Amino acid sequence: MATSRIRLPLLDWPMLAVSVALLVIGLATVYSATTVPGAHQGLWIKQFGWMVLAVGAAWVATTFHYRAHDPLAYPLYGISLVLLVAVLVLGSSAFGARRWLDLGPIRFQPSEIAKIATVFVLARRFSDPRLDLHRFKHWFPALLVALVPFALVAREPDLGTSLAFPVILVVMYFWAGMPWQTLALALSPAVTLVLAFVLDPRHPGFWLLIGGGLAALLVVTRPGRLLLIAAVAMHLAVGLGTPVVKSKLHDYQLRRVETFLNPDQDPQGAGYQIIQSRIAIGSGGITGKGWLKGTQKALSFLPMRHTDFIFAVVGEERGLIGALTVVILYAVLILRGFRLAAVARNGFASLLACGLVTALFYQVMVNVLMTIGWAPVTGLPLPLLSYGGTALIVNCVQIGLLQNVALRRQEY
Amino acid sequence: MRSGSPVRRDRDQRFGVVAAIVLGGFALVVLGLLRLQVAQHEHYRQLSEENRVRLEVIRAPRGTITDRNGVLLADSYPSFNIVFRPMPAESTMRARAVVRPGWVRRVAALVEADTDQVRALVRTANRSGQSAVLRRNASSQVLAGVEENRGELPGIEVVIEPLRRYPHGALAAHLLGYAGEINDQELEDLSDDGYSAGDLIGRTGVERSCEDILRGEDGAEFVVVNAMGKRVATLTEVPPRPPVPGRDLALTVDMHVQQALEDAMAGVEKGAAVAIDPRDGGVLGMVSRPDFDPNEFAHGLSRDRWKELSNGDSNPLLNRAIQGIYPPGSTFKIVTMISALKAGIATPHTLLQPCYGSYQFGGRRFGCWKRDGHGALDFVAALQHSCDVYFYQIGTRLDLGVLGATARAFGLGARTGIDLPQESAGLVPSTAWYDRRWGAGRWRKGVMLNLAIGQGEILCTPLQLALLAAEAATGGQALRPHVVKRVGGEPAPGRPHPEQPGVSASPEAWDAVHLGLERVVDSGTGTAARVPGLAVAGKTGTAQNPHGKDHALFLCYAPADRPTIAMAFVIENTGHGGTFAAPLAGRVLRKLFLPDSLAKVAVRTKPVREDTTGVDHGD
Repeated sequence: MATSRIRLPLLDWPMLAVSVALLVIGLATVYSATTVPGAHQGLWIKQFGWMVLAVGAAWVATTFHYRAHDPLAYPLYGISLVLLVAVLVLGSSAFGARRWLDLGPIRFQPSEIAKIATVFVLARRFSDPRLDLHRFKHWFPALLVALVPFALVAREPDLGTSLAFPVILVVMYFWAGMPWQTLALALSPAVTLVLAFVLDPRHPGFWLLIGGGLAALLVVTRPGRLLLIAAVAMHLAVGLGTPVVKSKLHDYQLRRVETFLNPDQDPQGAGYQIIQSRIAIGSGGITGKGWLKGTQKALSFLPMRHTDFIFAVVGEERGLIGALTVVILYAVLILRGFRLAAVARNGFASLLACGLVTALFYQVMVNVLMTIGWAPVTGLPLPLLSYGGTALIVNCVQIGLLQNVALRRQEY
Repeated sequence: MRSGSPVRRDRDQRFGVVAAIVLGGFALVVLGLLRLQVAQHEHYRQLSEENRVRLEVIRAPRGTITDRNGVLLADSYPSFNIVFRPMPAESTMRARAVVRPGWVRRVAALVEADTDQVRALVRTANRSGQSAVLRRNASSQVLAGVEENRGELPGIEVVIEPLRRYPHGALAAHLLGYAGEINDQELEDLSDDGYSAGDLIGRTGVERSCEDILRGEDGAEFVVVNAMGKRVATLTEVPPRPPVPGRDLALTVDMHVQQALEDAMAGVEKGAAVAIDPRDGGVLGMVSRPDFDPNEFAHGLSRDRWKELSNGDSNPLLNRAIQGIYPPGSTFKIVTMISALKAGIATPHTLLQPCYGSYQFGGRRFGCWKRDGHGALDFVAALQHSCDVYFYQIGTRLDLGVLGATARAFGLGARTGIDLPQESAGLVPSTAWYDRRWGAGRWRKGVMLNLAIGQGEILCTPLQLALLAAEAATGGQALRPHVVKRVGGEPAPGRPHPEQPGVSASPEAWDAVHLGLERVVDSGTGTAARVPGLAVAGKTGTAQNPHGKDHALFLCYAPADRPTIAMAFVIENTGHGGTFAAPLAGRVLRKLFLPDSLAKVAVRTKPVREDTTGVDHGD
């Protein structure tokens, strides 16, 4: 249990460079977004302070051998579950959802910590050499490990963050060796669910569509008998059950779901943000309006411009060139992360890297697609760019842990 | 999983799958960016400009209206409207927008308006893209609430709009008219005249007839606004166009006269009174009953209140002084007398058959208002006592063409051309008119008997009767009634000529008429209008009316030797003019010509009611 000497050449330098570049761009953009008169004026100074702290935390995460974190996995997971319950009971609310815990001077979202803890626990379980994901008692506990925090976070409600847990689970299943056919079959009822909501399940065409799709999937995947029966049963249950549930939902609940699916219908609420965000990005054009010169930003049309919608500020002020630069930096970060997972010789390290990168990738995708109007407004910050202390520390720790794996990628 | 290249190869395969998904995801983002920033850049650039730059109207202040001595009758003041401005962006989205019940409830509570109404207004605004006024003339309390919450209520704004104010309420309401915010229909019809939403527009009275003078010309400027709709700066690229303020109007109206008329008419249910200056035709005062408060219209009326005001049987919006038409009754005997004297049918001293209460003509009996009869009278005395029998006999000798021509020369039967909207013409029938009505040769000379005493088909507005009084006072001089005295401090440009030539008759004829009219008030049918120390000339009238009691009429001028005021009163459905109209004129004249204390004494010693039991105030 040594803090083995760090050999700098082994660090993943491209990933490090990309991360630093994103942090710098983030600070510059937060500066621009918070020089506008208003409640958030001058917050960039605080962000700078957080950044120093976050880099320190990343350094600590890098130095200690990941095995030193290993025994902490379950306690950390347990603590984060307790914190998630605490949020539901005591949390402070913003925009109608309880997501934050107040600890004196700082506020943080336990869901951020729960994500890392879950990755640790899953990596530990999946790195067991006797693992056989065809067996129920091997894959089912992992499902529970992910679904408990998912349910707790979803209740806050924070659907955007909560969906990170199943996404991480699926990718780590895959990385740990679950056949993709099984995964495809297991995920297919989700498609049926969405279709049942959007289309009319009483129409024979609906069943023709579902049946045809499932049949094609079965032909390609050729599952075992048990799995086949389970899959067909699940599809039937979802297809028949959704209309019943839908009819029992209250009008306002239904409207909430519909707004979630189509936020453009609500220009005074969530739709307003998306419309303004798209105007900001679209009006930036190729070269942008120039740093500190965004009018959408300056005149407060753009909501949450220093947090959730910071990418729109980049798009407005730096144009396509700036936005593409940021996108490419993220792509390099994510791909280097998965590459690291692929080359790490130790199974736990590989799975750890995979889970951490997946969490980052999910968050980048959901946030950026939201700002360009192709995903619903969910309130996820953009990693490394958005203003926010705990999120920044957690994201830097994620990068630090990835560097940790990089340092020791040749160890078994 | 620990060893060997199979794991390695498996890992590489899985990395390939994951990398493909990652690249696919980022490709999607790049596609989205290209679409927004390259393909639709121009669209979004415009939207962002629309977002931040707004063309704002700089309202031209509407001119004020004063009386001839500068007493303020109408001005404007800023009021605060709470407005919902729909998103300028993406109209298709806006049209499908769902108006959330919670949001509507919150807004409705804030602006203290009805929830359903707010919802309907917001829906319409979302569909049309035009902003909707949720609350007019908001109180400071409502404003404070809105300001406090505006950050969380995108689209809700406070807009300052001018509101018209009439400090004296219903006083001279019909003459002034009212101005209200322009409506959608008017905007469409008048779009070429530079009107814009939120402008004031005159609807009736002087506000309407002098709309172009009062209105001015709105200016415009481009301003930069922030998301809360608050203006941040003026756009420097386009210089602002300054507004041209409307010009102020001074009316010929004299507040003292108007107030005296209002007081005299206070108890009248339906009727009108007009006072004009016989020296120049300027209207000194004008009252119509029932009346209304123009402030109510300026603030915007509810639909129910509008119906109540415009549809009612009494119709308060009707300006009876220029729109109401009444048979002139015996007041018309002035016209008959001048006609007869001019035509040489009679002299002032001509004695005709004595009056025994009625006159037999063409197998019909024509009654005098005084059943006992007047006995033998000359022409002046016949006017003084308004003897119908004497005037019937004049009627039998008078040609319809001659009588009609004189009436028209006085300004009856045609619009006087007063600078107020929707004036009625009245009617002076001619031979051709009767031919059209009954067929050539199918009507008889009998109509002349009725016309001679002002009954029958002839109809006049109270303004025309005041004009008749004024022209009688000045010996037939042509006048054009008008209400605008000065525009922007300058005398009203080129007062138009009278519509009618006036009446030319010999001084002797006029002297006889003047004598008769003075005697009417002094010791005839109009003694109720007597004012101590003032020579008043007048004529009573009682117009038969198929729909109820007779209309009481009285017209007069004073001082009789050098007239400065001529008035006409029409009181609907009351009875004799000497009883119900003449006393009102007396009250007005006492107030205007006697010192204050004396006027009061005079009123106390000679109350209106007593008049009915005192002297026999006939027709």
